[in-house]
Amino acid sequence: MPLSYGEGTLAEHRACRANAVAFDVSHLGTVRVHGRGALARLQAAFTNDLMKITPGRAQYTHLLNDADASVLDDIIVWWIADDIFDVMPNASNTHDVLSAIGGDDVTASRAIIAVQGPEARSRLATIGPDAAAIGRFRVGTAAVAGITCTVAGTGYTGEDGVEVAVPAAEAGIVWDALVAAGVVPAGLGARDTLRLEAALPLHGHELGSGITPLQAGLGWVVAWDKDGGFYGRDALVSERERGVARQLRGLTVEGRRPPRADQVVMVNDAPVGVVTSGNFSPMLEHGIALAFLPPALAVGTEVIIDGRGTQTPARVVATPFIPRP
Amino acid sequence: MQIPEDLRYSTDHEWIRIEGTRARVGITDYAQDALGDVVFVDLPDVGTAVTGGASISEVESTKSVSDIYAPMSGTISEVNTDLGDAPERLNEDPYGEGWIFVIDFTDASQLNSLLSATAYRDLVEG
Repeated sequence: MPLSYGEGTLAEHRACRANAVAFDVSHLGTVRVHGRGALARLQAAFTNDLMKITPGRAQYTHLLNDADASVLDDIIVWWIADDIFDVMPNASNTHDVLSAIGGDDVTASRAIIAVQGPEARSRLATIGPDAAAIGRFRVGTAAVAGITCTVAGTGYTGEDGVEVAVPAAEAGIVWDALVAAGVVPAGLGARDTLRLEAALPLHGHELGSGITPLQAGLGWVVAWDKDGGFYGRDALVSERERGVARQLRGLTVEGRRPPRADQVVMVNDAPVGVVTSGNFSPMLEHGIALAFLPPALAVGTEVIIDGRGTQTPARVVATPFIPRP
Repeated sequence: MQIPEDLRYSTDHEWIRIEGTRARVGITDYAQDALGDVVFVDLPDVGTAVTGGASISEVESTKSVSDIYAPMSGTISEVNTDLGDAPERLNEDPYGEGWIFVIDFTDASQLNSLLSATAYRDLVEG
């Protein structure tokens, strides 16, 4: 996926908020886990509880480091059929996930196209009406431009939409048909500014080594009491009892200057936290950031972001930065 | 890629338009394309004395931050305040409305170290 196509990141971002865009996210991993014991293996490893859903649905979940409850990866599981699961890790974490749960790495066999935006379904409907009807966090098989695809009502933009897994050899047909249907190609730049406005975590920034789901504000991903537990449960229970030392929060600045990852957050001239992601918000037209801060810093607290010798006033705000559709 | 013949260029991908004893400065078409969508320009203050080659400003895009250098020594006599609300002018019109600042230069001999359009084209198309 390029950083952007012809019109640039800002135009692609706005197209996703107002119309529909397509991202080639084939770089994500797909690990297929199937057969007897597949469900039990996933249940024993991941934090969320697949018993909350059924075949034909998708679930967001975490794989934790067993020793310290760091998030090794955040994952979407597509429950394809009774004993078939497509587990979708971040590309660079596919190996960690494979070693934890086994299964087959089928990443190379398919492309994945994310179709996102308020008009994603209406445009997709012109070339795949059944695909466009697959609901939020549902998974099913449907034709798109005559090609049989696996379609899930998932995404990473804060907009409605679907992700389409298409056999690799046919990916070009589906992509071209989407573009012909008025879906705007969008790149990695817009993918990052969109997920930031929606306050969705990016592994390596808001999740990763030393960061637990509780610190990232994702306690809802943890099914504490499910049968069989999950990797990292003991360490995470300890942290829950102690209370988290830091919490992921949103920051806004008044001007357009983008805060950047690794800039230090100050209160009364003392460092209290660090920015994990920051950029210009194309919809709000000012800078926004996610940062780890002491839990006691309430929404509305004024802070300073210290970056490259410039001190920028900022304020702790509730997330997401833009309303959910 | 546009590289107007009547401008001088720096190896830092800035263009310089000589207007008597003043030098109007912006970033090149090549630079704006490499930066991507510009969302913020940190303008220097009018009246600041600058040294040729020193970093005096920053341009931020959705993907990165880049330094802007003074191509010649002198005093900043004008800045493009319109960029405060419309930094995208660096992308849309890099050699026109996307100009960033004007230097009243003190040492005309520094002009000799700037590149011609031909030399700059060789640099970026190498």
